[in-house]
Amino acid sequence: MDFSTMLSTMASGMLKTFGIFALTLIGSLPLGMLVALLRKSRFAPVRALIGAYIAVIRGTPLMLQLLVWYFGPFYLLGWSIRGWRFPALILGFIVNYAAYFAEIYRGGIESIPVGQYEAAEVLGYRKGQAFIRIILPQVIKRIMPSVTNEVITLVKDTSLAFTLAYQEVFSLAKQISASQTSFTPFIIAGVFYFIANYAVAFAMQRIEKALNYYK
Amino acid sequence: MIIEMNHISKTFGTLEVLKDISFGVDSGEVVSVIGPSGSGKSTLLRCATFLEKISGGEILYMGERAAHTDESGKVNYVRFQELTRFRSYCGLVFQQFNLFPHYSVLKNLVDAPIHVQHRSKDEAEETAMELLRKMGIEDKANAYPYQLSGGQQQRVAIARALTMKPAILFFDEPTSALDPELTGEVLKVIRQLAEEKMTMVVVTHEMPFAKAVSNRVIFMAKGVIVEQGSPAAVFDDPKEERTKQFLRVFER
Repeated sequence: MDFSTMLSTMASGMLKTFGIFALTLIGSLPLGMLVALLRKSRFAPVRALIGAYIAVIRGTPLMLQLLVWYFGPFYLLGWSIRGWRFPALILGFIVNYAAYFAEIYRGGIESIPVGQYEAAEVLGYRKGQAFIRIILPQVIKRIMPSVTNEVITLVKDTSLAFTLAYQEVFSLAKQISASQTSFTPFIIAGVFYFIANYAVAFAMQRIEKALNYYK
Repeated sequence: MIIEMNHISKTFGTLEVLKDISFGVDSGEVVSVIGPSGSGKSTLLRCATFLEKISGGEILYMGERAAHTDESGKVNYVRFQELTRFRSYCGLVFQQFNLFPHYSVLKNLVDAPIHVQHRSKDEAEETAMELLRKMGIEDKANAYPYQLSGGQQQRVAIARALTMKPAILFFDEPTSALDPELTGEVLKVIRQLAEEKMTMVVVTHEMPFAKAVSNRVIFMAKGVIVEQGSPAAVFDDPKEERTKQFLRVFER
C-alpha cells in the first residue's frame, strides 16, 4: 500500500474523528451548563444526584465508561445492541465531557462578585435575565483558558473510540499499521492530531482576543 | 412619604443587626445616615432596597405596603410581580460601584431601561446621555468601566441608578472606596441632585458633606437609631452621649 492510498484510507477516519469531536462539543457544552446550574439547585436531592454523577464520571476512566455505554444495555437489560455503537460512543463522550465542563462553569459562575448579582437585582432584572445578560458573558470570558484545555484534551480523547472498534483515525492507524507492517499510519495520525489541536488553539485564541475588549 | 419603614428588625442567625427601627423619608428630603461601622446602616439600606428580607416590621412605598409582619410574626412580602414595581421606586448606589464590566458606559445606563422597563432604545439613550452630561462624563459614553477612574465609575453608577427614574435614591457609602482626591467629584454630583430636590438617603462617613447637604441626619449605633434631627441639632448640639462620643472622633 503506497502513501497516498494510506492517506486516503485514513481520511475517512479523520472525518469520523471530527464527527465525534463536533457532536461531543455540541452536546456537552450546553449540557454542562445545565449540570452546573442543577448543582446549585434549591433541592438537596438534585444537588446530591449531580454531585454523584460528577464524582462517578471523574472517578472512572472514559474508556471504561464507553464500554459500559456500549455493552451495558445488553448485559444489564438484555437488549440488542445492533446499531448502538455510534450512539453509545457519542453518549459516553457527551456525558463525560458535560461533567468536566460543568465544573469549569461552576468555577466561573462562583468567581463573579456578588455585587454584580446585587446590582442587577436592584435594577429589576429577573434572575434568568440577569444570568444571561450580566453573569454569563463574564463567566465565558473567565473560563476560556480552561475550556481550551478541555477541548484540546477532547481532540486526543476521541482516539478512545477504538475501544468500541469505531473506525476513526486512531483505530484505522492501528489496523493499517498491523496489516501493512508499516509505521507510517502512526505518523499520519500523529500529524493529524497535532494539526487539529493547533487549529483548536488558534481558534480559541481568536475568541479570547475578541473577549479582551474589557477587563 | 416616599418610603416608610416601621419597627424594622433584621437578624442574621442570632445576630441582631437592626432592632425596631422606624423611619420615613418625605419627597425632596435628603437624609444622611451616620454611625460607626457595624451599626446596621448598610443593612438598613439593603432592606429598603429589597436586597435583604426584613425579619420583622413593615415597609411602605408611596403609602403602599411592600412587606409586613402578620399576627404570627411571619414577614410577608408582596408577590414577585408587585415587588418588581416596588423595586422600581428605589435605586441604590453601591460602595463598590458594581458597574457591568462587559458593557460600555452607555450600555450600562440603557440596558435595564430597555430590557427591564421596556422603554424605547432612542428614549433610553437620550435620557442616558443627558445624565452623563450632568455628571460631566458624556465623553466617556463609549468607554468601558475599567478605563475610568474610581470617581468616574461612581458617577456612572449614579447615572445608571437615575436612568431608572427612581422616586428615591439610596447611597451606601458612595465615596468610601475612593481616593480622597476623587471623593469631591462624587459628592459634588450628589449635592447637585440635592439642589434639584432628588429624594435621597446617604450612608456616609463624610461629616462636612452630611452637614452641608442633608435636611436630616440620623445617627445609628448597634442597630438602633440613637438620635436624629437637623444637621445643626445633631452635629452642633447632640443630646445623646453615644452621639457626642462618635462625633468627637471626627473633630480631631
